[in-house]
Amino acid sequence: MLISPIILKRYNRLNNTSAITFLQKLFSSQAEEKIEIPKRIHRGPTDILRALETTISQDPTAAHYKYHDDPFLIPMSNVGKRTFAMAQEAGKKAAHWIRKEHADLFNHREADPIIKVFLPKVSFNEQSEVSEADLKQVINDVLVSEAQLVYKLLKDRGLDISNETRQALLELLCYTNDSDMLAEDFIEERWFRQSAKSKEKQRKIWKDNSLAEEIFISIENPTAEIYSAMIQGMCKYFQVDKAWHLYQESQEKGLTLSSEAYSSLLRVVNFLKESNDLRWALVEELLGKMNEAKIKPTLATLNAVLHSLSTMGGGKVPRTLALKVIREFKGLGIEPSLGSWYYVLITYCKERGPVSTILHDIMPEVENKEHQCLDMSDTFFFVTAMDICKNHLNDVDLGKRVHKLLHFGNNYNLIGDSYKESIYYRHYFGLTINNMPFEEFMQNIYNLLVPNIYVPEPGVMAEVLNQVDFNGAVEYLPQLWSDMIIFDHINRENLIESVLNIIENNKPEDGSKFHEIFAGIAWDLFNRLEEQGEQRFNKLRLTGDQLGKVMILLLRNKDFKKACIIMDKLDQEQHTVVGVPKIEALSMYIDSCIENMAPSRALACLQYCSDCGFPEVEDLGNKVHKSMTLDESNLAKLSKIVGPLS
Amino acid sequence: MLSFSRNFEKILLNNVEKSLALSISYSTETKKEVKEEFRILNLKSVKGKVQPRKPQKQLEALQPRASKMPVDQDWASVWPGPKTFHPASVPLPVRQGYVEKAAAAPDKYGNAELMKIPNFLHLTPPVIKRQCEALKKFCTPWPKGLENEEKCEKHFPIEVVSSDYCHSAPTLRNPLARIVTIKLKLSSLKLDGRAKDKFIRLVGERYNKETDTVTIVADRCPLKKQNYDYAMYLLTACYHESWNVEPWEELKSEADMEYYYWNNNASKKSVEALFGKPTEDIPNVQEYSEAVSTLINEGESEYLVTKYGQSVRKLLGLPDELKS
Repeated sequence: MLISPIILKRYNRLNNTSAITFLQKLFSSQAEEKIEIPKRIHRGPTDILRALETTISQDPTAAHYKYHDDPFLIPMSNVGKRTFAMAQEAGKKAAHWIRKEHADLFNHREADPIIKVFLPKVSFNEQSEVSEADLKQVINDVLVSEAQLVYKLLKDRGLDISNETRQALLELLCYTNDSDMLAEDFIEERWFRQSAKSKEKQRKIWKDNSLAEEIFISIENPTAEIYSAMIQGMCKYFQVDKAWHLYQESQEKGLTLSSEAYSSLLRVVNFLKESNDLRWALVEELLGKMNEAKIKPTLATLNAVLHSLSTMGGGKVPRTLALKVIREFKGLGIEPSLGSWYYVLITYCKERGPVSTILHDIMPEVENKEHQCLDMSDTFFFVTAMDICKNHLNDVDLGKRVHKLLHFGNNYNLIGDSYKESIYYRHYFGLTINNMPFEEFMQNIYNLLVPNIYVPEPGVMAEVLNQVDFNGAVEYLPQLWSDMIIFDHINRENLIESVLNIIENNKPEDGSKFHEIFAGIAWDLFNRLEEQGEQRFNKLRLTGDQLGKVMILLLRNKDFKKACIIMDKLDQEQHTVVGVPKIEALSMYIDSCIENMAPSRALACLQYCSDCGFPEVEDLGNKVHKSMTLDESNLAKLSKIVGPLS
Repeated sequence: MLSFSRNFEKILLNNVEKSLALSISYSTETKKEVKEEFRILNLKSVKGKVQPRKPQKQLEALQPRASKMPVDQDWASVWPGPKTFHPASVPLPVRQGYVEKAAAAPDKYGNAELMKIPNFLHLTPPVIKRQCEALKKFCTPWPKGLENEEKCEKHFPIEVVSSDYCHSAPTLRNPLARIVTIKLKLSSLKLDGRAKDKFIRLVGERYNKETDTVTIVADRCPLKKQNYDYAMYLLTACYHESWNVEPWEELKSEADMEYYYWNNNASKKSVEALFGKPTEDIPNVQEYSEAVSTLINEGESEYLVTKYGQSVRKLLGLPDELKS
């Protein structure tokens, strides 16, 4: 009892060395007073870090930590975000490539303990001496093509492999469909990969006559595990008919398949049968078979059944069945995951079906809970729920509840990938912007999420601009305009149009500072479009009408010089500029020419007006004539343009 | 004249060589140009048309995010860990660096001085408080019965010191982590005078007389546990050895003693013989024995000799001063 507690703990487990026993004997008589040493609180290797992490919340002003925290290096647009992250990943890939090409240079073993992933990959060729242990190793490391090669080499040598290894190989091949998988450390590629899987879904992508099938055929008496692996692989890659054939074969032999195999069959019921009734009958049959074989269903079984129900159209039957199934599984002690609720949502809320408020009933089930990813479909819940909040129910309070759930605990991990994330926020923005006071929206949502978490797509930006116009909240325009520049939206014709319309329509009072700001925006817009790269494929050009608006804004700010530049452009590039400005813009320009005593400019403008065929040219000519003293030549020009002067 | 002509030849030859070399160097380039005009070798590129540079497109950058930060933000989330100072992320008008005459210190933008020094922006007092709260769940209360230093020392007399190292390197081993030091107070061991003496002799310089501590450092084995075991073994061995009495230890004679004990020595016997009674009955013998012991143990000095003289006078009942 006398050695310091740490040492005691550390060494008690090790066999009591003589020193410790001796010391215990030596001093035990002295320890009269009772000492109570509390038990050590167990902690894992990363528990301290996790505890410290809980003290940190998200910082909306910072970019994601994968980017450098520097204004010049933080990507601002969606394209930029993707490019920066993928560039990093490309560097990683280059490093991988170098390591593969020059494997002999990376054999120094500095690390202790050795870090396996840093070592060069083991490579095999036709001459390599391989054993079953090698095969086991590559299967463990999920190296599909290596596994295929090693298996082939083993077979050529006439070496036998054990049943367990063969089973593992078959499972690997069925899981990956005989093709290599994206390595685990390419996180960004996973995150940014377009999840076009939903479109791929309906297609058979199982490789026929692949090594997996070869192995399967070569086995004389396939066991239930081998059947299960094959059925799962075929169902996963939609080789449905063969899977069903194998299933029947195994049933004839009286084999008991795994619950995963049944789940994968349940998932593809809609491929096996034509009508909904037959499909449901098949589901019931399969579940009955599971029951007969005394296989306990799992969450995967529940989700597979719900998945099949969600494909059975929008009638009343699938809806009631879905709830029944959930109830029954709950009775078995299987709690539905977020993915199950996702299937319920898509069963109930069809695009053309009646409005269903099922999400209101689902929310209490999932709210204020931290969810783990238990099924692949779990990542679909949030994006679908927000979609339903916006497009199906248009219920902003429900949307806020969904958003709160997303930010509860570590639930944000279930957002899926970048594609789902941006769709989620697109719906969230669309929902809140139309249902919240505009100021509140800007304060609490726009300023918080843009640009670090979400960069609005042009469509969302157009809606924001619409709301600005609707609410007359022009004070947000400078911010929105600089955001639009950053997000690379200035080549969008509709956005440019609506920005110009807003600042032209919302004329501020005389002497307001907004005149200057608006003129600044208009001039910036004009310049940016002028400076577009020469080689740009489809350049966006301002129309005559838009140029007129820019001119009006400049003239409202009493900026005659810049207005002259616009007028020159209109005059000189009559062939390329589409359309003509409104007569108001031109008359304003002439007024300002009179103010600034620029008769030749006024005449040039009059010439332009008459070229464009404005009937008002006569009045304008008279105005010029009256308010300005023109010399002989100018008078002659004027009469040439507008005819005899009064 | 001859020499001149030779020289001339030489110069001519040289020139020819040069022009040859030039023409060779040009011949590889476009031949047409050479025909049209004679290009001058322009090594320093003094003259010639300056190619107009394309105006560089200005890089669009965000505003420093410090300007967007609300005043009531959660600083711990903005600066969660140690990192190099960055002006765009720190909303403080900090200045650092050499101060020019009549000027302010350089501000935070592009300031290498600020980036060089380690900063503690991630460990502000509220953050430390919060982190301590978060780590509390891993802490146990202080053991009962060990409230103060004395109690700890009484119940746990052995102190074991070893170090763990954490550094950024491919290997997580550090050779210094193997060293184990154990410390204990000698008084906490059960030893009698002789055994204590032997123990001190055995441990040698590892015993500190002033603090009464024995320190054993073990670093000869490659692993911490081995070194700990070895240190404990040493302690055990020394303890048992000091209790052992070897036959030759009995042979220790007066000449081998490291201290002078008056009781064991001839001086006592002669005093007893002189007075004819045991020392207990002799007055003032205590003072005399101490004076003799200190004189012999500490060596002669004027003070001790005087003191010795006085004690002898007292013992024999002589007057303090010789009467002349």
